[in-house]
Amino acid sequence: MWRYIVRRLLQTIPVVLGSTLLIYALVFLQPGDPIVALFGEKPVSEAARAQLEAQYNLDQPFLIQWLLFLKGALVGDFGISYSGQPVADLIARTLPVTFQLAFMAMIIEAILGVIAGFYAGIRRGKIFDSTMLIVSLIVIAIPIFVLGFALQLIFGVQLQWVPPTVGSNTTFTNLLLPAVVLGLVSFAYVLRLTRTSVIENLTADHVRTARAHGVSDSLVNRRHVLRNSLIPVVTFLGADLGTLMAGAVVTEGIFNINGIGNLAYQAILRGENPTVVSVVTIMVLIYVVASLLVDLLYAALDPRIRYA
Amino acid sequence: MLNQTPLLGQERFVAPAVETEHPLAADVDTSQPPESQWKQAWKSLRTSWIFWASSILLLIVLVVVLFPGLFTSVDPRAADLSRSLEGPQPGHIFGFDRQGYDVFARTIHGARASVVIGLLTTLIVTIIGLFTGAIAAFFGGWVDTIISRLADIFFAIPLLLAAIVGLSALNNVWPNRGYWGGVLAVVFALAAFGWPQLTRIARGAVMEIKNLEFVDAARSLGSSKWRNLFTHIIPNALPPVIVTATVSLGVYIVAEATLSFLGIGLPPSVVSWGNDIAAAQPQVRSGDNLHVLFFPAGALALTVLSFMLLGDAVRDALDPKARK
Repeated sequence: MWRYIVRRLLQTIPVVLGSTLLIYALVFLQPGDPIVALFGEKPVSEAARAQLEAQYNLDQPFLIQWLLFLKGALVGDFGISYSGQPVADLIARTLPVTFQLAFMAMIIEAILGVIAGFYAGIRRGKIFDSTMLIVSLIVIAIPIFVLGFALQLIFGVQLQWVPPTVGSNTTFTNLLLPAVVLGLVSFAYVLRLTRTSVIENLTADHVRTARAHGVSDSLVNRRHVLRNSLIPVVTFLGADLGTLMAGAVVTEGIFNINGIGNLAYQAILRGENPTVVSVVTIMVLIYVVASLLVDLLYAALDPRIRYA
Repeated sequence: MLNQTPLLGQERFVAPAVETEHPLAADVDTSQPPESQWKQAWKSLRTSWIFWASSILLLIVLVVVLFPGLFTSVDPRAADLSRSLEGPQPGHIFGFDRQGYDVFARTIHGARASVVIGLLTTLIVTIIGLFTGAIAAFFGGWVDTIISRLADIFFAIPLLLAAIVGLSALNNVWPNRGYWGGVLAVVFALAAFGWPQLTRIARGAVMEIKNLEFVDAARSLGSSKWRNLFTHIIPNALPPVIVTATVSLGVYIVAEATLSFLGIGLPPSVVSWGNDIAAAQPQVRSGDNLHVLFFPAGALALTVLSFMLLGDAVRDALDPKARK
C-alpha cells in the first residue's frame, strides 16, 4: 500500500510540471509586451522598464521564468499581478467562495444523482426510469448558461425566492441556486452512471446468492446493489471536482460571484498573465489531489483491488 | 442399500429434469462466416426507435447545414432596426431579435458553425485518441508511459479553462481570422485539450483485446505486429471509442456555445447558435422577448440531444450484454 502511494505520488510530479509548463507557454510565449500594456499610451523609460522586467522576471529566459514561478508557488508565493496585487491574496480571497460553491454543488449532485439513479436502475424501463433518462439528457443538451439563466429568471426575478445575483454576500442560501446550476450537468452524469451500474449489479452473482438466501429485496438493493454501484460514481466525483471549479467560470459570471472562476476569466481577458498561470496551477493541483484521493479510496471501497 | 426413509431435515424436492437439446456440431452451418459484430449491432440497431428518431433529426440538421438556402431566403445579416424585438408573426415565424435580424434565418444559418465545430473537433480528437491510445496499450513499456503521462498533462487542465486560455492565445497570434478561421480556432482549442479522453478509452479497449485468443491465433499464423494492430485489434477496440465520440460531439457543440457566451469563442460577425444565445441574454433579463433566446437555444439543444440519443442507441447495439 505505501509503495503504491509513493509510486502514485511520483507519477503526479511530471503531470504537475508538464501542465504548468504547458499553460505557462500558452500564456507567456505570446507576442505583445506586457510592460508596454502597463504604461498604456505613455512612453516607457529605460530605467522603469528594466526595473519592472526584473520585478516580473521578464528579463530571464522563458524556462527560468517558469522555474522561478514554480519555486515561488511551492511556498505559496505566486508573485504580483500586473495591477500590483499579490496573486496569493487574490486567490485567498476568491478560492474559499468557489470551494464552498463547488462543494455544495457536489453534495447536491451526489445525493440527488445517486438516489434518482438508484431508483431508475431498480425500476428499469418504468415511467420513473424513462423520465429520469429524458431529464438527464435535456440537462446535458441545454448549455449550462441557458439553464442558469432560466432558473435565475424563474426563482430570482419572478418568484423572488432567492436573490438573482449573489455579489459579496456569499451565504448558504444565496449560493444555493448557483450551486444547483453548477451541479446540474454533473447530476445528470451521476444519475446515468449510477443507473447503469445498478442495472449491471442487479444481475451479479453475489446479488442472486443473497436473494436465494431469502434476504429481503430492499436489504439486497441497499446492501449489495447500491454499495457496489457506488464505486464508479466515486471515481467520477473525484475527477468532477476539477470540472466544477472550471464550470464556475460560467456560473460565477451569471450570478456575479467573486470566485476563482471569475478571477481567472477576468485575468485572461485583461492579459494578467501571472494571475492566469497561478489560478490554472491551483486547479491542476486540486484535480491531481482529488484523483489521488479517489484512487486511495478505491481500496477502502472495493476489497478486490489490492495495491502491490 | 439406500436408506428409503430420509433423515429428518433431509427431504429434498427434485425438480423434473427438462433438457433442451443442443444442436449437433455437425449441424452448424460453416459455409458462411459467422456474423460480424457490426452486422449484429446493425440488426439490433434497426429495431430501435431512438436510433431512427435521432438519425432522422440529424439528417435534417445535416441538410440545413449543407443547404440553408432551401429553408429560408432571408439574409441572416439583413438588419431592420424598425422591427427590433418584434415577436413571431406570419412570414417571420420566429420573430426578430434586437438588431432586427430574422431569428428563423439566423437559426437556420447558425447551424453550420455549431455542427462543423462539433464534427471536426470530434474527428480530430478521435483520430489522435485512437492511435495514441492503441499504440500506448499495444507496445506498453516506455511508449505507454510517455503517452499516458502526456495525456495526463493535457487532461489535468479543465477543458473549459484550457480552451479559454488557448483561444485568447490564438487571438493574439491570429487576429481577424474571418468565418472559417474563427471556426477552426475553436476546433483547435477544443481538440488540443480534448484528445486525452479518447486516448484513455482507446487504451483501455486495446488493453482488454490485445491478449485475447484470436490475436494470438493471428500471430501464430504469421501476421505481423502492425498488421495485427490494424486489422485485428483496432477494429475490435472501436465500439467504446465510437460511443464516446458520439456523445462528446454533443459536448463540443455545447462547449462552443459556452465559449461564445463568454465572448471568446467565435467572432461576433459569425452567425452561430452560441453567438445568438449569448446576444439574446440581455434582452430576456426581465422575462420578455423570450423568443430571441428560445429558438437558437432550442435548435442547439435538439441537435445535441440527437447526438446523445444516437450515442446511447449505438452503445446498446454494440454491447451484447445490454441487448435485451
